[in-house]
Amino acid sequence: MSPAPQPALAAGLRVLVHATDPARREALRNLVIDAGHLTMDSPLAADAVLSDQIDAALGGFAPMPEHGGQGLFTPRELEVLGAIGDGLTNKLIARRLDISPHTVKFHVESLLRKLGARTRAEAVAKAREHQRSNTVEL
Amino acid sequence: MTELIEQFSSELAARTAALQGAVAAIRLPRERHVSAIVWQGGVVVASEQSLPEREEFDLVLPGGAEATARLAGRDAGTNIAVLRLSQAVSPPVLTPGEAHAGALALALGADGTGGVSARLGLVNLAGAQWHSLAGGLIDRRIALDLRLARAEEGGPVFSAAGAFLGMSTFGARVRVLVIPAATLERIVPLLLKDGRVARGWLGVALHPVAVPDALRETAGQPSGLMVMSLSEGGPAAKAGVVPGDIVLSVNGAQALGFRRIAAQLAPESIGRTAALRIVRGGSVLSLDAVVGARPAA
Repeated sequence: MSPAPQPALAAGLRVLVHATDPARREALRNLVIDAGHLTMDSPLAADAVLSDQIDAALGGFAPMPEHGGQGLFTPRELEVLGAIGDGLTNKLIARRLDISPHTVKFHVESLLRKLGARTRAEAVAKAREHQRSNTVEL
Repeated sequence: MTELIEQFSSELAARTAALQGAVAAIRLPRERHVSAIVWQGGVVVASEQSLPEREEFDLVLPGGAEATARLAGRDAGTNIAVLRLSQAVSPPVLTPGEAHAGALALALGADGTGGVSARLGLVNLAGAQWHSLAGGLIDRRIALDLRLARAEEGGPVFSAAGAFLGMSTFGARVRVLVIPAATLERIVPLLLKDGRVARGWLGVALHPVAVPDALRETAGQPSGLMVMSLSEGGPAAKAGVVPGDIVLSVNGAQALGFRRIAAQLAPESIGRTAALRIVRGGSVLSLDAVVGARPAA
């Protein structure tokens, strides 16, 4: 029993994800909740980046995240990701981290593969969401 | 057959009528409200995440009487808030029961004028205990196969036999969860007594990372939790932890996931020493932190 979300719900979710005004956000959130619950196999949820953003926008009493230990980034990869996010080219990243451009290229390729991203911009967006939803204060 | 269906229907209606004395509405701004459970002893229990930051609330009691209540305590960890009513009420006695996957569940909400709204669905899932993102321990993972309006969050959920299963709330993705009766019975008295639930705290934001290959052998484990940020003056900061450190273990419990570390921060841990094993700049070192109490969110 998992009906595809109605186009209106899908559109509402996309607007919700990008809304910044708190009052508008709350109104949109209520509309989405009234429209029905979301299922993991809905086309929207299939979009990894958007689904994390949807979860963040909708809130709810969530469990502590748990990872399988697979596909985790090394500290060096996180540094490279941060540098990509700052808009640096491979050459500048190499200079900042004091490593060879060849090594940077190797890290970037590994990052794109782990994130399933085609472009650097997509990698940064996916990594940010992943980091946000997998950082816990203890 | 017709008789059976009629009987089923009228039994449900009778059950709802008998239990509606356990449901109150908490007024919110802009003509909205959320639901709450009328507890014994002039106390009302609600979903913590549904309540705005306030001390005083206006309520509509079962039957329609208006009342005010003061916040007695709230705990984001278990998503439970407790209010003290300014007047006496006599709710029905709730008999706790266990949820079973596949069994029917009746979720009640407040209609905002003293009456109830009802929802019927299956217990979609009745699993083991779990930790919330905010660090609370929930005795069982109970999810319902039904929808809930915003105003119905915080109402009581019953089994077909009328046993009290717990309080309804929204989980991630607007899924309807139940905070089990056992968790309510554990947390409500603590909130009435102290206004909060004490929980151990290190004051670090952690993110899982792979241990670099060169250090894997020394570390003895493939992953750890990297310190992304520190609370200024918090227990970890005082112990000398700095951003970028990778926590390998706390009191010997390997930091392969968050839950194992959260388990080291039970209420009893406050004031005790937590032995941290850390990777910093290519070597492994040990630091001792005195576990603090998690500040209110």
